[in-house]
Amino acid sequence: MARNWPFQTVLVANRGEIAVRVLRTVQTLGLKGAVVYHAADRNAPAVRMADHAVEITGSTPVAAYLDGAQILAAAKAVGAGAIHPGYGFLSENAGFCRAVEADGLVFIGPTPEQIELMGDKVRARTFVEKAGFPVAPSAIEDDDPSTFVERARQVGTPLLIKPSAGGGGKGMRIVRDLSVLETEIERARSEGQRYFGDGRLYVERYIENPRHIEVQVLGDSHGNVVHVFERECSVQRRFQKIVEETPSPALTWELRNRICETAAGIARSAGYRNAGTVEFIFGQGGEFYFLEMNTRLQVEHPVTEETTGKDLVHEQLRIAGGEELGFAQTDISSQGHAIEFRIYAEDPGRGYTPTTGPILTLHPPTGEGVRWDSGVVQGGEVTAAFDPMIAKLIVRGSDRSDAIARADLALAQTVLLGCKTNTAFLRRLIAHPAFVAGDVHTGFLDANPQIAADPELPPETLHALLAAASLSTRPMRDAADAVPDLHAAIGEWRN
Amino acid sequence: MHHAFKLGDAEHNVELARARATYRLHVGDARIDVDLKTAPDGRAWLTLGERHVEVVIATRGDEVFVHLDGEAYALRYEHPLDRLAAKAGGGANDQIRAPMPGSIVNVAVAAGAAVTKGQTLLVMESMKMETTLVAPRDGVVAAVRFEKGQTFERDAVLLDLESGSPA
Repeated sequence: MARNWPFQTVLVANRGEIAVRVLRTVQTLGLKGAVVYHAADRNAPAVRMADHAVEITGSTPVAAYLDGAQILAAAKAVGAGAIHPGYGFLSENAGFCRAVEADGLVFIGPTPEQIELMGDKVRARTFVEKAGFPVAPSAIEDDDPSTFVERARQVGTPLLIKPSAGGGGKGMRIVRDLSVLETEIERARSEGQRYFGDGRLYVERYIENPRHIEVQVLGDSHGNVVHVFERECSVQRRFQKIVEETPSPALTWELRNRICETAAGIARSAGYRNAGTVEFIFGQGGEFYFLEMNTRLQVEHPVTEETTGKDLVHEQLRIAGGEELGFAQTDISSQGHAIEFRIYAEDPGRGYTPTTGPILTLHPPTGEGVRWDSGVVQGGEVTAAFDPMIAKLIVRGSDRSDAIARADLALAQTVLLGCKTNTAFLRRLIAHPAFVAGDVHTGFLDANPQIAADPELPPETLHALLAAASLSTRPMRDAADAVPDLHAAIGEWRN
Repeated sequence: MHHAFKLGDAEHNVELARARATYRLHVGDARIDVDLKTAPDGRAWLTLGERHVEVVIATRGDEVFVHLDGEAYALRYEHPLDRLAAKAGGGANDQIRAPMPGSIVNVAVAAGAAVTKGQTLLVMESMKMETTLVAPRDGVVAAVRFEKGQTFERDAVLLDLESGSPA
């Protein structure tokens, strides 16, 4: 069915798996897809897939993808009428959004004012609190810098110090003992200064063993807002998500309804336009507080797509095209259970340090209910230039235990040789009784370091590996072929 | 002849010999008849005595990557000559190598500078966290290989250290 789009070509200002993901929907809808790419990504799947690919440069590969002026020029060069920013990079950059709109192109996202409001944690929190939604006890430095330390004390321990301009866990510090409060504040300030060019801080009560539950929302430019249910993202390492699922195993039907309606209410108060995610911190007692709102497509959006049948990129494009949502809250339902696994090039046994290397062999998993969103191909190379997430495995099952069973099979089927990944670790994680019971929290992996540790190999596994390696190593095979084994030779005579 | 593979931090000595139509692997006290039949796509059948297992193998230089029972492993063939050289000694501390991939945040010393054990040489960033690399011993900085802002892979030589007095 041909629709009248206000744009015919969409440029994706991103890379890796999300560029592929966005292009897939763009092209399925009969639109042309363009990408920008740094030379380091020359052979990436998104570049091969796009109708137009424009090379961009920068002092580092990441800098190229952050260069809004260059990307906008590329969009105009290929006649793109809209820019999809993906996640990360320029997706929550109000200045870029304004520049795109000033040049008459459509930014597939919220308004710049909404980006600014939700991008500043302090403003966002104040906004949510004033709108009557729950926020955790806190102290904001900007309210009165001279009394900040004292007000931080009043918040009570344990508390969390965060940079006001932050994100992704950078610069965050937990304080359990008030005697180190001032030292930790200074550390957080210097990290905030360095990462975000902004040393302002805020402090909030730290919820012990909390869950991270977030809600997908969609808002159009006509004032309609719906939620598309929640995702639980409690399994994290270094404040970054590894496994995300929906529905959350922590929620009763009543709580689920309440947290989802709260999210929709927050988005509605902001007049929110685009796909967005309202994140909550969820305590063991069922209490939940607003954490932040991400004004973009989320890495973990596929689990929502798999259980609701909604293509969120399609919805983003329709909203950006000025259409109404065209469905009501009651038209959205969620079926079954979906889990996403972030496949990272990293070594969990060495503190999750990133790994690099060539992708010599890649056999993605296949099968019923298995989705593989990837930005790498066999023959490619994982370098230190970008984030170590190289792919996402999403599995869907009729219920949670069915999804876990499929996930174990799919992870075992995933063959990626040449660069160490976390797939074996993920299998150990989902076999853990606490995960099976759905009883996890954001500190779960820190509290259970044995999951990340490389297990000792049983002798039969070690022997199989040494046999495979020996028989694949030329000097060993040649040496063996040159000198027949005497015992074997004797054995042959006897026969 | 003795050969060895490194798997994780452990080194394993092995010997391989011909045995009738197949091979015999000597590892520790075990003697196992082994064979490997490989298809063009890298999938292979490994035979160990009576056991047959499907594996996927990829090689690159001295590295052998094996996917076995749903998990991937990396082994590195240790050349007999290199092992001899390593045993003979040689300044393991002369090169400061990157413990993980990342980028340089700050270079605290210049070539020719005398440093004492524990002194900060470089500050690097990886995984959104800073790591400080310190001098493993007293010495003199022979060369700083990277500048602030440059990125590097794991095991890259970041700085050379030599003994002696400052230039």
